[in-house]
Amino acid sequence: MLRYLFVRTAQTAFAVFTVATLIFLGLQLTGDPMENLAPQDMSEAQVEELRRAYGLDRPVHVQYLRFMAHLARGDLGISFLSGEPALGLILERFPTTLKLVTTALVIAIAFGLPMGVAAAIRADTMSDRVLRFLSVLGISAPTFWIGIMLILIFSVNLGWLPSSGLSSWKHYLMPAFTLSLYRIALFLRMVRSTMLDVLNQDFIRTARAKGLAERVVVYKHALRNALIPFITVAGLQFGHLMAGAVVTEKIFAIPGMNRLALDALYSDDRPVIIAFIIVVAVLFAVVNLLVDLLYAVIDPRVRYA
Amino acid sequence: MKRIGILAAFVFALAFAGGDQLVVAYQGGAVTLDPHLRNETTTLSWQHHIFETPFFFDVKGNVVPVLARSIENTDPNTWVLKIKSGVKFHDGSTMTAEDVAFSITRAATHEKSQMKGYVGKVIEAKAVDAETVVIKTKVPDPLLPAHLDHAAVIPKAYLDKVGEEGFQKHPIGTGPYKFVEWLNADHLTLERFEDYWGPKPDFAKVLLKNIPQGATRVAGLLSGEIDIAEKVLPQDFARVERSGRAVVKQTPGVRIIYVAMDYWREYGSEGLPEGAKNPFLDPAARKAVYMAIDAEAIVAKIMGGAATVAQQFLAPVHEGYSPKIKRFPYDPEGARKILEGLGYGDQDGDGWLELPTKDGGRVPFELRIDAPNDRYLNDAQIAQAMASMLRKVGIKASVNAVPKKVFFPNMTKGHFTLYMAGWGSMDSINTMLSMFHSKDPEGLYGRFNRQRYHNPKVDALIEKAAQTFDPAERDRILQQAMEIAMLEDVAYIPLHYENVIAGVAKGVEFAPRPDEYLHAFEAKKQ
Repeated sequence: MLRYLFVRTAQTAFAVFTVATLIFLGLQLTGDPMENLAPQDMSEAQVEELRRAYGLDRPVHVQYLRFMAHLARGDLGISFLSGEPALGLILERFPTTLKLVTTALVIAIAFGLPMGVAAAIRADTMSDRVLRFLSVLGISAPTFWIGIMLILIFSVNLGWLPSSGLSSWKHYLMPAFTLSLYRIALFLRMVRSTMLDVLNQDFIRTARAKGLAERVVVYKHALRNALIPFITVAGLQFGHLMAGAVVTEKIFAIPGMNRLALDALYSDDRPVIIAFIIVVAVLFAVVNLLVDLLYAVIDPRVRYA
Repeated sequence: MKRIGILAAFVFALAFAGGDQLVVAYQGGAVTLDPHLRNETTTLSWQHHIFETPFFFDVKGNVVPVLARSIENTDPNTWVLKIKSGVKFHDGSTMTAEDVAFSITRAATHEKSQMKGYVGKVIEAKAVDAETVVIKTKVPDPLLPAHLDHAAVIPKAYLDKVGEEGFQKHPIGTGPYKFVEWLNADHLTLERFEDYWGPKPDFAKVLLKNIPQGATRVAGLLSGEIDIAEKVLPQDFARVERSGRAVVKQTPGVRIIYVAMDYWREYGSEGLPEGAKNPFLDPAARKAVYMAIDAEAIVAKIMGGAATVAQQFLAPVHEGYSPKIKRFPYDPEGARKILEGLGYGDQDGDGWLELPTKDGGRVPFELRIDAPNDRYLNDAQIAQAMASMLRKVGIKASVNAVPKKVFFPNMTKGHFTLYMAGWGSMDSINTMLSMFHSKDPEGLYGRFNRQRYHNPKVDALIEKAAQTFDPAERDRILQQAMEIAMLEDVAYIPLHYENVIAGVAKGVEFAPRPDEYLHAFEAKKQ
C-alpha cells in the first residue's frame, strides 16, 4: 500500500512538471504579456524596464530554467498585477471554491443518486419518464441562464436571498443549486442505466431466487455494484467543478479561484495562470487517488499492492 | 414575544438599510493596494479612498491641489512644491515633505512602477524643509502638476518598517477612508478616517465589491444590497428606472471610440482586395468615409443613448478641445460623389465602387473593418452598423470582429486598413503624442499611432505644446494642431464618447466622473 502511494505521488510530481512545461511553452505562443499589462501611457523604454523587472527580457530557455528551478522549490513566482506570490493568491481563494463545489456535489448526490435508483426500479413507468424528461431539462439548461433567473426570482422579486458574495449559508443556496442542477440530472441518468445493467445480471436473479427482500437486493447487491462507475464520474465532476465553476463564480460574484484565473488569463498575468493550472493538476491527481482507494472499499476484489 | 422579535428585526433592517454603510459594486476590483504598482482605472479608484496625491483632476477636467498647497517652476526643469501642513496618515503620524519626496521618487523609479508614463521624467524629488519638496525633471514637463495625480503619498517610515508585502496587507495613506480588510480583486472594506484633513465623507463605512456580471450588479441594486452600481448596461436602464428603488446617472466620459485608416501603404493593405490601391492615403477619401458614417444613428440605435456623439477626438473637458471643430455632416450621397470623383466609380455596373490595381485593372471596393468584440460597449455591433452604412455608398464592407487579445496585437503590428478602437486619457499632451505624433525610431512618440498618421506641421506643434508652460498658450497650440489633424488631414473619424454610467439607489446622491474613476467619498446622503 505504501509503495503504491509512493508510486502515485511520483507520478503526480511528474505530471505537474509536464503540465507546467506545456503551459509555460503554450503561454510563450501568446506573445508579449506587457502588450496587455503595461498601461498605454508608458513609453517603449519604460515598458522595457517593466519587462526587465519581471525577467521577461531574458531568452525563453533562461526564463524556462529559472521557472523550473523555482517550481521545484514550490515557488510559482510573483503576480505581474499584484506584486504578491501567485500561489498565495490562488490558495487564498481555494477554500471558497472548495466549499461551494462540495455543497453543490452533496446536493447533486443527495438528489441524483436516489432519483436514479428510483428511476431504474420503476423503469419505463410514468414516474421514470417524468424523471428522465426533467433530467434532459437539467442537462440542457445553460448555467448562465439558471443563475440569472434564480437571482431575478429570489433576490430581486422575492428578496429572500442575497444576489452576490459568499458570506453566510444563505449565500450558498443559489450558486450551489446552479452548479448542482446539471450534476443531479447527470447522476440520475447514469445511476439509472448502470442500475438497470446490474439488475439484469445473473447474481441478482440468484439473490431474488434465494428469497432476499427486494430492498436488500436493490440496495445491498445492485447499488453497490452500480456505485463503482458512479464514484468515478462523481470524482471527475468534482475536479471539473473545482476548475470549471467559472460562470457561476462570475454571475454570483463569488471570490473563488476560477474567477481569479479567468481575470489572470484576460490580463496575461502568467504566474497566476500557471499557479492555477498546477493547483488544479494536483487536485485532479489527489481526487483520482481517492477514487481509486474508494474502489477498494466498495469492491473487496480490488487490491492495491 | 415573537412579535417583538420580528419588530426588532425590522427596526434593525431599517437601521441597516438607511444606515451608515455604503456598498459600491464595480465591474472589476483592485488587484493591488500598492499605489505605484498598477495603473488601471478600477485599481486606482479603490486606492483613491486610502491614498491621496499632491494634485488631482476635478470633474470639469481642472487640475486642483489635494495634498499640495502650491507649486511653481523656478526653471523649466525645477519645480518647488509646497505641501499642506497638519495632514495625518491613518496611523496617526503627520505627513512630511520627506514622505512626499519619497513617494514621488518611488512612483518615478520603482522597477515595477506603472506610473512612469506620468512621473517618469522626474530624476529627483528632495525635501528641503518640513513643507517644501524640490522636484527636478530630465526634460521640461509643463504638465508635472497634473502628472503628480499618479504619485500617491505613502508614509516612508511605515513602509520601511513593514516592507512591501506587509504594506499591501495593511496599507496606510492620508485618504478620507482607512483600510479595514480586503480580498485581492474581490472586495475592500473601509472605515471613515476621523482625523481626515478635508471635509469628511457622509458614510462611516464603505464596502467596495467586484461584481463582474452587469445583471448581478443591477439585481443587487434593485434588491437593496448595493447603493451604487458601476456600468449599468443600456438594456437594464428601463428596469432600474421602473423599480422606483434606483436611478441611472450618466456623464459623458473621456473615452472616445474612433476609426483609423491606413496612412502609409499604397499597395498591400490587408483589408483591401489583393493588389488594390489603398484609397485612404488621400484625405478626400478619408473624409468621404467620415461622411458616410452616421454617428448619431449609432449612438441612438446601438448605444441606446449611453454615449455622446463626438465632434472631435478630444472631449470638452480636455485641454486642446477646439470649439471650431465640428463633425463633417452625415451625407452618404456626397460621400459617394467624392469617391467617384477620385476615380473609384462603378464602371462595370454592379453597384459597387471600384479600386484600381497595381497592374492597371479594377476590382470591386471591398473593405474589411477590423474591431474588437469584447473591449468597448457594443463594439462588434458598431462595426456591423458602419459596414452597412459603407455598403450604402457602394463600398463592399465586411466586419472582422475578434477578441481584444487577438485584435490589439494585430493593431500594434499595423495589420489593418480600417479599424475601430477606443482611447481614454485625461492628459491631452499624452493623447497627442501617442495618437497624432508620427512614430519615431526610439518609440517615444506615436506609440498608438498604428495607422502611421504623419504631418510635420502637427508634429512640430505637439512638440511645442509639450514644452509650453503657460496653460492658455499650450491650449491654443494644441487646438491649432487638432484643427489641422481633424479638419484638413482627417487623421481619425471620431464616433462617440462612451458615457460613464452608474445606477444609484434612492437615498444616495452621486454622479459619475468623466474620467471613469468611481469614488465612494463623493457620494452624499440625500
